[in-house]
This record gives sequence, C-alpha cells and structure tokens, in this order.
Amino acid sequence: MTGLFSISQGHSVLPVVLPLLAAFLMQPLGRVARPLALLLGPATLALSAYLLIRLWLAYGDAPYALAIGGFAPPLGITFYVDRLALLFATAVPVLTLLFWSRGEDDADPLRRDAVMLLLAAAATGLALSGDLFNIYVFYELVAVASFGLVTLRATGAAYIATVRYLLLSALGSVLALVGIAIVYLQTGTLSLAQLAMLAPDALQNPLGLAPFALLLIGFGVKAELFPVNTWVPEVYATAPTRISALLAGLVSKLAVIVVVRLLVLAFDGTGATQLMLALGALGFVTGELAAWRARDLNRMLAYSSIGQLGLVFVGFSLGGTAGMLAGLALVLHHLIIKSALFALATRWRGALARLTGAARSAPVSAGLVVLFALSLIGVPPLPGFWAKLLLVLGLVELSTPLALGALALVLLGSAVEANYLFRLVVRLYARPDDASTPALPKPKLLDFGVASAAGVLLLAATVSVVPVSGWLRGVADQAADRAAYIDTVFPTTLVQSGAR
Amino acid sequence: MRNLASLVFTAGLAFLLLVIAAQLGFGEPPMRVGGAILEQAPAEVGAANIVTAVLLGYRGIDTLGELSILFAAATATGLVLVRGRKDCGHGTSDPPGGFILRTGADLLFPLLLVVGFYIILHGHLTPGGGFQGGVILAAAFFVLVLARPGADGSGGTSHTAIAFIEGLAGAGFIAIGLWSLWDGGEFLAPLLGKGVMGELLSAGTLPLLSLAVGLKVGAELAGLMTQLAEQPAGPQHPHPQAEDRGS
Amino acid sequence: MSAMGPDSLSFVVVMYVGAFGLLVIGAIGMVMSNHLFRMVLALVIAEAGANLLLVLSGWRDGALAPILGTHAADVPMVDPVPQVLVLTAIVIGVGVQALAVSVLLKIHRIYGTLDVRALRRHLELDICRDAGMAPEGSREAPAGERPLPPPIPVADALRTAATDQTGATS
Repeated sequence: MTGLFSISQGHSVLPVVLPLLAAFLMQPLGRVARPLALLLGPATLALSAYLLIRLWLAYGDAPYALAIGGFAPPLGITFYVDRLALLFATAVPVLTLLFWSRGEDDADPLRRDAVMLLLAAAATGLALSGDLFNIYVFYELVAVASFGLVTLRATGAAYIATVRYLLLSALGSVLALVGIAIVYLQTGTLSLAQLAMLAPDALQNPLGLAPFALLLIGFGVKAELFPVNTWVPEVYATAPTRISALLAGLVSKLAVIVVVRLLVLAFDGTGATQLMLALGALGFVTGELAAWRARDLNRMLAYSSIGQLGLVFVGFSLGGTAGMLAGLALVLHHLIIKSALFALATRWRGALARLTGAARSAPVSAGLVVLFALSLIGVPPLPGFWAKLLLVLGLVELSTPLALGALALVLLGSAVEANYLFRLVVRLYARPDDASTPALPKPKLLDFGVASAAGVLLLAATVSVVPVSGWLRGVADQAADRAAYIDTVFPTTLVQSGAR
Repeated sequence: MRNLASLVFTAGLAFLLLVIAAQLGFGEPPMRVGGAILEQAPAEVGAANIVTAVLLGYRGIDTLGELSILFAAATATGLVLVRGRKDCGHGTSDPPGGFILRTGADLLFPLLLVVGFYIILHGHLTPGGGFQGGVILAAAFFVLVLARPGADGSGGTSHTAIAFIEGLAGAGFIAIGLWSLWDGGEFLAPLLGKGVMGELLSAGTLPLLSLAVGLKVGAELAGLMTQLAEQPAGPQHPHPQAEDRGS
Repeated sequence: MSAMGPDSLSFVVVMYVGAFGLLVIGAIGMVMSNHLFRMVLALVIAEAGANLLLVLSGWRDGALAPILGTHAADVPMVDPVPQVLVLTAIVIGVGVQALAVSVLLKIHRIYGTLDVRALRRHLELDICRDAGMAPEGSREAPAGERPLPPPIPVADALRTAATDQTGATS
C-alpha cells in the first residue's frame, strides 16, 4: 500500500463527492488563487480515477454494497459496487480528463470547469447508485450539467439546440418521475435490491410494464433511444466537439447502464425486453439511414451514435448472461470508437466534402478512421465483429417473430452503415483538388493521442480476444446476477422482516 | 406530420395513465419503507420532523445531489448570460421603484431574514427546513433588487459574496459528511449525539446540515434571480445572423 | 386500514384526476405548442402533475403530517418518503426552468423570435453555414449526398457552396 491513506469500501463514495466539493469550491478559490482553481478540476478527476483503480484492485472480485449514512439498506440509500459499476465509474474521470476543455471557447473557465466536475460526479453516481430516486437525481444532475456544456460555443444555433434538448429531456424526466411514483405506489420502496425482491409479485405484470416504459422513455433521452433522440444531431453539431465526445461516448452509456440495471433487477418480464428490442432495432435502422444522408461529419457521427446505441439496446434485450455479454461488448466497443472518432473530429468538423484527400496531410489519422470504420462495420478479426456476432447469434437463438424482424433490421442497418463508412474512407483517400481545397488542419496532439490510444486498444483486443472475452463474461455474469445483488445488499435474511 | 405524431403521443400517454389509474389502489400505500422509517427515525436520527430526518439523514445524498443541481443550473445560467452582457453594456430600463416600495423593501428585508433563519434552524422540529428557509432568504435579497432596479453600485460585491456563500455552504455540507467518514462511519452518518427530541440543539448534525442547505439554496436562488434581473429585456441587439435572412 | 368515508374517497379521486389531468395538459402543451416560452410553461404544468402524483403516493386516509410532538402518538402519519421526494423534485424543476428561461432570453435577443418553426429553420441554416456547406434542399445540394465521382465535381460543389456563402453574408 503506497497510497495517501489506506483504502476501505467506505471510500467508494469519494469519486462522487470529491468532484462535487471541488466544483463548489471553484469560485471561492478562483477569487483567492486563480491558477490553483484552474488546476483543481484535473487534479480532482485524477484523484478520483486513482481512488477507483485502488478500489478495483482491493475489492474488485466480489460485489459489495455501501449504506450511505450508515442507514440499513431498505431505509437509506445504498451504493452497489460490482465490476460493471467500477468499470464505468472508472471510465468517467478518465474520459472527462481526456476531453477536458482547454480554452477553445471564450467561456469563463472556472464556471466551465465547475460544470464539467458536476457532470463527472453525477455520471459516477449513476454507475454506483442502487436507489431508484437517487438515480433520478444523478440523472438530472447529468442533464443540467450537459445543458450548460452544450451552450459553450455561445452561437445562436447552440442555444436553440440546447433549449430543444432541455425541453425534451425535461419531458422525459417528468415521465420518469411518474414511473417512479407508480413504482413507489405499487411497492412502497425505492431500493433497487428490495424492488428486485418484490418484483415477481408486484412489478412483473402489465402494471409493472407501464412504469418501465415511462422510465425507459425518461432515461432513454440521454441514452439516445429511438423516439426521444431528436436532440442528438442538433446538439452534437452545435456543441464543442469534445463535449459531443463526452455525451456520445460516456453519458449515453451510463444512461444505458441504468436502464439495464432496472431491467435486470426489477422488470425482467418478457414485455419489457420486447419493448427494448423493438425500440432498439428501430433506432439502429433509422440512425444508420439518417447517417447515410448526413453531409457533415458531426451529424454523421451523431446519427451513427444513435444507430450504435440502438444496437446496444437490442443486445441487452436478449436477456440473461448472453444478452448482457453482447450488450457490454457493444457498449465498450462503441465507447472506445465513438470517443476516438469525435477526438479526430475536433479539427475536422464541418462538411464531409472538406475531408476529400485528408489522408495526404494526416495519414495516420486517416488510417485510424479506416480501422474504426472496419470495426464498426464488423469486419472479422476486429472486436466489432465479435460483438455483432454475439448479437446476431442471440437473435437467431431467440427466433421469435420480433427477434427475426429485428435481425433483418440489424442486417439492413449494417449494410447501410458499411455503405456510408466506405464512402467516408474513399473520400479521405480521394485525390484532392489542390487549387481550391485548403489543407485540412491536423488533429491536435492530445486528440490524436486519444485516437491512437483507442486504436492501439482496439488492436490489442483483437489479438487477445480470448482473455478479453473471458474477462467480459465475468463482468456480465456478475451484472446479470439478480440473486447476488439482493444477497449483497441484504446479507442476512432477517433484514427481510423490513420487507413484509 | 409533426402534429399527427404529437397527437398520437399524447393520446398514448393519456391512455397509459388512464389504464394505470384504473389499476391503482387509492389512498392505501404499502408504507413499506415509509412505515419502517416512521418507527425507527426517532431513535436513529432524533428529529421531531421526520421529513427532515429523511431529507438530511436517510436520503442525505439525494439532498446533496439536489443542491448540486441547483448549483449546476446557476452556474450554467451564468455561463449563458454573463457572456452577452459585455456586448450590450446598458443596464435595465425599468423605472425606479419609488419611495413607498423602497421603504417597504427596507422594512421587509430584516424581517424576511429572521423568518428565513428561524425556519432553517427549526427544520428538524417544525415544518420547514433548509430549502424552505433558503427560499425566504433569497426572497429577502430579491425584494431589495426589485425595489431598486438597475442599482448596480453593490453589484460586484454582492456577486462575490454570493459566490463565497454558495461555495462554502455546499463545501460545508460535504465536509460534515466527510467528517463522519473520517470518524470511521459512512459518509453523512449522523454525529454529535441525538440530544433531547424537540429541543433546538438536538438531532446531531442535522441542524448544521440544514443551515448549509439553507445558505446554499438562498445564495443559489438569489444569484439566479439577480442574474436574470440584470438582463436587458427584449431583442435590443439582434444578432447579425438573424438579419440577413429573416424568418 | 380504516374504512374510507365517502368524503375522503372523493377527495383522493379528485386529486388523482387532477394529477393525471395536469400531466396530460402539460404534455399536450409541450408537443403541440409552437412557442418556446409556452412550452416551458407547459413543462411547469406537467411537473406539477408529476409532483402531485408523487405526493399522493404517500397519502393515507385520516393520517397526519409526520412531525412528532404535534399530535397524539397513536395517530397514523402519512408516508414521509414521498414528501422528501417531492421536495427534491420541485427544487430540481426550479433549476431546470431557470436555466431554460435564461437560454430563451438569449435566443430571443439573438433571433428576435421564440417561434419553434422559425428557429428550426435558423438552426438548420446555421449548422450548414458552420459546416461550410449549402443548406439542405437548396439548388446546390438537393436532398442526400451524391455518390462520389472524384475529384473535380466535388471541388465545383465546394466552390459553389463558397460563393453561395459569400452571397448570403454580403
């Protein structure tokens, strides 16, 4: 142990709390010692990441529950820490650090840093929380922080996109709140573990499907779920590209994880999975078709992100460990690739026509785009192939009419996806017309570094498919285990007297 | 097309709610967690107002998240509004408040402060608490702003004060939570002993948390409202973007 | 559970009807309105409905507020948890609404309108201009991207897009 202090399970709350503390102190500190305040954000996130990695090393094997305030589980709020939670909680500070804004806009840096920290804290909370209403609170904090961040470019278009995003998101939140109220009316509890215990009697019936649908629509706004994703192209085209990378790469995934937790624990009836399957397949095919029509890079990436998240929902809707594995593989794959593509897009935003011949001035970046495109399409040795294979096999095995319909949509969408991604690649390597096209700026070193690291990670996963999939299966096993969740939060059966 | 989709959506929502309403049991909640809290809260937390015990005890981290949301909204509002103010450097064009309004505001101000702090500090005993009292504190400051529109003599100092109060009050809430973590308990576990229920100094750290919440909410809302009040009204400076194409 | 009198039954039915009614009215207002500020107001109404539903989920016939020492010990009390949730939800709503209003102020100052249809047009035009391409559906760029015959026609398209841009701003 070489740390600042010895680590204990109680410290799992710190990655949520410390960024909040830093955000609160940002303004006072900024008026006393401004340079220090500017360093506060990255330092706090680095500390969070360090703490999470230490927690992972110390307690990563078995899941554990943390009763906030020391109040016994059904009454107080619990954090549930398993490998899935740790994985995404660790991704939050790391990715936020990588996409930390460094003065590309003329916004007040202290305010911007504070909002970034709030986003990181809330996103970590989403990964860890085990209480329905607490999840709602963190989700709203993520939402409000992201509203602030997408206005950073201060253009009129950014404000219009923000307010449309805000209204849709707020409507979703109202529906989610109604869903929570109905769940509470039915069960009288908000603890996910106790909901999981009560679910077979109280929630797995038509009246249980209604709150799931409401919660799915509510949390689906951030997860870019099919009918409530109209904000995505507008926001990603008007927000700073780094913020788009964070929203598409990270925040959407955390919303997905929340939905999956709810599905696994409380709403594991067939109706819920069928709803998710249908919406996911529709989202995939509509997203890919819209991406095919897009003429600028940011919106192409945005629509492609909608499509990929639709695929993720299809994966998780398969149910069981197999579904969890397929979904997780797709989520991680998309997290890495979409973050990297947006990192490259920081300097390449704008019309696709501008990219003609970009491979000349930036050969490595263009090579990376090719790699990512191949993996997104699912060309055999790359990880994207294995993820899609798991999905297709699962759908074939299910072979209900709905699953086969979804399979057809998935294959159709993949063909469309291949078409527009190849078009992009061809454009990158086309001969530019030197006279009129200005040389495209190369990506910044850090963004280029992020993209290269993602490329290396992807290739490493390609080479070591067997250990990676084994490890992922372990994560999926833990995450799909409802009984373990209940046992961890309520270690002895005597507590169930509170659950009469 | 859009109207049709909207109609379908609302009709669907209305139908869904109708079906739910037909199935719900009216007025007979299961009281699973709530009942247990009603039984155990007096012994575990020691606050007479059980709503406050839940707010700052059982669901304390929700309250922290809620404070953060207000803080995020205020900071984001600052990000949105402050930048434009440099372009159009004129204050509000509201008429002055007049003698009666100003005197009334000056008289109300101390009274509102007293009421606000009373409600904050008695949050664990009587209805009310940090949020309710904080709103009254914010109202006290906002009455002054309303009575003197465009008086920007103290604008700079009040912004600094608000920034310090909102930052330090929020930090204080977290510090109390971390204190119990340091003490070997969990984050936000109650400290300081429960005292005699019904007295002002009881329920451990609850009154302190309540004070932090009240100050933070007050500063947050006062900041939000002054920021909005300092905005010039109407499209006095249409963006060049808007002119060349009309609508 | 004590037998419910006709008065309290009709009270709770009215309350539930009110909650669902506010929700539906708010939702209709949000999706049917074409004015951003009215959409924000509709959002406030819908939030009120959700909050009412939430606080109703803890209501019990004949029960009092959960504050000890103000009434006899054996009187039933309402569920305190929904009251806390509703307090949280109200504060969250206030924050979101304040932010929405401030962004609306900014939009109104920039474009001089809050009409959704006009703003959507502005949005599309601004995004296209930001990306350096002709707006969708205009003469230079009919819907969809043409397949690629590189390199000269693309350059032409770029040049026309550029002239179009300068023509629009001058």
